[in-house]
Amino acid sequence: MSEVLKPQFTGARVTRLEDARLLRGQARYVDDFEYPGTLEVAFLRSNRAAARIQSVDVTEALAVPGVKAVWTFADCPITLPDRPFQVGQPVLARDEVRFVGEPVAAVIADSRYRAEDAVEKIRVQYEPLPAVVDSRAALADQPRRVHEHRPNRFLHKTHVTDGFNEAFQSAPHHLELTFRWNRQTGVTMETRGCLALPDPVSGRLTVYAGHQSPHGLRGMLARLLKLPEHQVRVVVPEVGGGFGIKAMFYPEYVVVAEAARRLGRPVKWIGDRMESLLADAHARDAIHEVAVAYDDEGRILAVRDHVIGDTGAYAFPGFPGAVGEANWATEMLTGPYKIPHVSIEIECVFSNKAPLGPYRGVGGPIGAQVQEAIVDAVARALGKDPVEVRRANLIGPEDFPYHTPTGKVYDPGSYGESLERALALVDYERFRKDQEQWRAQGRYVGLGLCVFVEPSAMAESEAGSIPYEAVTLRMEPSGVVTAAVGTGPTGQGHETTFAQLIADQLGIDVKDVVVLHGDTDSAPFGGGTGGSRSGTIGGGAAIRAGQALRRKLTQLAAHLLEAAEEDIRLEAGKAFVAGVPARSITIRDLARTAYTDVARLPEGMQPGLEVVARYQPPGAATYSNGTHLAVVEVDVETGFVKVLDYVVVNDCGVLVNPMIVEGQIHGGVAQGIGSALLEELRYDENGQLTTTSLMDYLLPTAEDVPRMRVEHIQTPSASEGGIKGMGEGSLIAAPGAIAAAVSDALAPFGVFVTELPIRPQQIVAWVQAAKTEAQAG
Amino acid sequence: MKIRVKVNGRWYESDVEPRTLLAYWLREDLKLTGTHIGCDTTSCGACTVLLDGKAVKSCTVLAVQANGREVMTVEGLERNGQLHPLQSAFWECHALQCGYCTPGMLMASYALLQENPNPTEEEIREGLSGNICRCTGYMNIVKAVQTAARKMSGESQEALEEVAANGASAD
Repeated sequence: MSEVLKPQFTGARVTRLEDARLLRGQARYVDDFEYPGTLEVAFLRSNRAAARIQSVDVTEALAVPGVKAVWTFADCPITLPDRPFQVGQPVLARDEVRFVGEPVAAVIADSRYRAEDAVEKIRVQYEPLPAVVDSRAALADQPRRVHEHRPNRFLHKTHVTDGFNEAFQSAPHHLELTFRWNRQTGVTMETRGCLALPDPVSGRLTVYAGHQSPHGLRGMLARLLKLPEHQVRVVVPEVGGGFGIKAMFYPEYVVVAEAARRLGRPVKWIGDRMESLLADAHARDAIHEVAVAYDDEGRILAVRDHVIGDTGAYAFPGFPGAVGEANWATEMLTGPYKIPHVSIEIECVFSNKAPLGPYRGVGGPIGAQVQEAIVDAVARALGKDPVEVRRANLIGPEDFPYHTPTGKVYDPGSYGESLERALALVDYERFRKDQEQWRAQGRYVGLGLCVFVEPSAMAESEAGSIPYEAVTLRMEPSGVVTAAVGTGPTGQGHETTFAQLIADQLGIDVKDVVVLHGDTDSAPFGGGTGGSRSGTIGGGAAIRAGQALRRKLTQLAAHLLEAAEEDIRLEAGKAFVAGVPARSITIRDLARTAYTDVARLPEGMQPGLEVVARYQPPGAATYSNGTHLAVVEVDVETGFVKVLDYVVVNDCGVLVNPMIVEGQIHGGVAQGIGSALLEELRYDENGQLTTTSLMDYLLPTAEDVPRMRVEHIQTPSASEGGIKGMGEGSLIAAPGAIAAAVSDALAPFGVFVTELPIRPQQIVAWVQAAKTEAQAG
Repeated sequence: MKIRVKVNGRWYESDVEPRTLLAYWLREDLKLTGTHIGCDTTSCGACTVLLDGKAVKSCTVLAVQANGREVMTVEGLERNGQLHPLQSAFWECHALQCGYCTPGMLMASYALLQENPNPTEEEIREGLSGNICRCTGYMNIVKAVQTAARKMSGESQEALEEVAANGASAD
C-alpha cells in the first residue's frame, strides 16, 4: 500500500511568491503611495564638516510659492537619544554642524521641486572650525574635539588571553601588518524615505518607511514624538534593498513625522542619491595594526590586533557603527583557525564625518580579510603554499563545539571540507602550474581564498536586542493560511521561505500561505531583519507556529475520522489515517468545520484556527561557514583587475530554498567585489565628501561580476529546522578572497594588499616601484 | 507646456513645467510607478524606459522631449494578462530580489533583445552594464535574458512580431 507522498517545499527551489507584483511594476515602495494633499520635504544639509552656525535666514525661502513651513532646530527641538556616549544628534543641527550632509533646515512645501527651490534660498552664516578627519589624530583630540564636552575617543577596551605574552614572545617567527579599510556604504537602489499620515479621526500617526525593523522604528518614533506606542502605526511596504543601512533610525524620520502631526497633512520625504551617499549609515573605516607569532610549520600561535575605528560625528541609537565593526572583526579574528592566543585593543573615535552604522557583514569582511591575509603572509614568509598553511591551522571536525580565544562557541561546520571542495572545483594543483606559465608570458593571474565563519541569528544585532521572533498563523474558513511575521524583508523572499516552512507543517500548497509583514497593526512584535537572523529565528517561529496549528488540525481530524491522533497525517491538502488514505478529510473541510460547523468539534475545542508562536534559538549564535575562491587577472599596465573565476562552497545548515540562498550568495559576492576593487567614500582633508554620486562612488556592474559556481554542504544547526543564517557570509568572504587573489597575482612584484579598496593607480605604482627597485638592485 | 505622448499604446495629453523630468511625469502624472528613480545622474538605470523603441534613462530626459513620441514602460510589457517572456524568465531564474532595479532591467533587456535577439553572455553583460542591481550579482539576470531570448526565438514569427510591436499596437 503506497502512502500519498508528502510535498516537501522545504529544500526545494520554489519560485518566489513576491515576484508577480515586482515584475509587473505593481509593487509599492514608499514613494509609490499617493495621498491627497501630501506635502514634501527637502532638507538643507551642511556643506561644512565643522562649523558654528551663526545665523539661519529663512525669509526668502518662506516666500517661495507653495512653501508651508521652513524649520530649523528651534522649530523642531528634538534630539536623538544620547546614551551611552553623551552625544545625541539633534534632528536639525543645533548651533554647530559636525559633518557634511547633516540636516540643518527642512522645507515643507506642496512639491519636492518647490521645496528644493526654497532650500536654495535659505541663507546660513557659518563660522568654520577645523575638521577632525584623521582617526589617529582624533585619538589625541587633534585638531580639536568633535563634541566640546567630551574627548573624541569614546570607547577603549582590551581583551588578552591568559598566557598571550609568553606564547607571543616564545614563538620562533613574527610579522607585522597594518590594514586599512576605507569608508563604504550599502547603497540600496531605493534611497531612504518616509511618508507620515495623521489620522484626524483616531489621532493616530501612520508612518510608511522602508525599514528593516518595523517595531523598532515604531518604538523610537513614539518615544521621540512623545506618543503612546499604540498611537503610531508603522507600515513597511516594498523595500528596495536594506543591507543594514535601513535598520537604523535617522533624524529625517522625526522631522517628517513631526511635520505631519503639526501641519495635519500627509508629509513625505524621499532622499535623493546625493543625500543617500552623504547621510545613509557609512561603514568600515577602520585601521587594524596586527602582529602575528607563528612556528616553522606555519601554525599561528598568537595574534595581536590594535583597532582604531572612526564612527563619524554621532553614534546611531543602539548601533555605534565603529564599535559594531571593531567588535565583530575582532571577535571573529581567528575565523576558522585554531589560534590559541589573542590580544585585542579597540579604540573608537568621533570625527567630522557622517555617522557610521551597519552594512552587510558589519566587521565581518574586515575580520575575514585580516585573518586570511595573516595566513597568506605567514605562507609567503615561510615560502609555503597558502593552502598548506590553512590546513595546518584549520579547526577540524573533532574540535566542535569549538571555543574561540574571543569567547565564542562555534557549533559544527565544514571548514576543511569546504576548502577542499573549492580547491577541487578549480583543480588547484593544475592552476598553480598554469600560473607559472602565465607569469612567464607576462600575465599576472592570482588565486585567493577566504575560509569564512559567519555568526548568525545572534541574540543582539543591528536589528536590536530581541533574541526571538513571532509568527501568528490563521487558517481561514477556506483553508488558506495567513501568516504575520515581525521580520523586515528587503528583498530576501520571506514571503516564500516562510510559506514553504509553514506549508510543509500543514500539508498544504505553498501558494495557499500568504505571509504578511511590515505593518505593526498586523505583525506580531519582532526584532526585524538584520544580523542574518530572519531565516533561523523567524523561520524557527514559522515552523513552531505551523506545528501548533498542525496539532489542532490533527486533533480535529482524528475526532472526525474516528482515529487516533498519532495515526493522522496531513499531506497534499488532506488529513488521512496512515496506511488508509481513503479515510480522509480535506484540510479545507477541517477549516470550514472549525469555524462554521462547531457542533462537530471535539469536546473542549475552541472554534477557529489561529495560533501565535515565538521562537528563540538555543544558542547565542549559530555559525555558517564556507570557502570563497577567486581567480583574478591583474593588468599591471593599467592596474585593472578582472575576476576570471569565482567559486563558493557554502554551508548554512539545512537549506530552505537553495535558489534564494544562491541569490543571496551571488549578491554578496558582487558587493564584495565592489568592496575590494571599487567602492570608496572619500573625504578630503577638510572633511568634504568627494564621492556624492554614483559616478564617483562606483558600484559593480554586470561586466565586473563574473559567473559564479556555488555548491552547498549542509551541517545542520541545533536551531529549529537545522537552519543557519547566511545573509552576510558572502560579503564577509568575498573582499578577502579578492584581495588575496590580487596579492597572489602580484607576488612576483612583492606586492601584498593591506588596504581596501584596491585602486588601479596603487597597483600601477606598486608594480613600478618593484620594477625600479629590481633595476636598481 | 502642453505635451502629447503615447505611453504603452495610449496617447496622453498633459500640461507640464518645462523642467519636469520624464520619470517624474510618468510616475506622478500618469501614476505609472513601475518606473523607479535610483540616482539622478544617469548611472543606475532603474528609470530605464523605451523612447521610440530605444532604451533611455527617464531621469535625464525632460517630459517635453517626449512630446509627440512613444514611450513604453514596464507596465506595457504584459499582453492580455500574460507576462512577457522576459518577465517570466526573470521569475523562473530568480533574477530579482528587492525588485527595485527590475523594471529598468526588464526594459534595458527588452531593448537589447530587440537589437540582438540572440546575444552572447558577454553581449548581455555589456548591454546591461548601464543598469545597476545591488542584490543579485547579475548572474541570474544574465541567465534570464538568455532564457527569454530562447523563449522568444522559439515562438512563431507572428507571435514574435506581436511582441516586438508590443506597446505600439493597442491604439
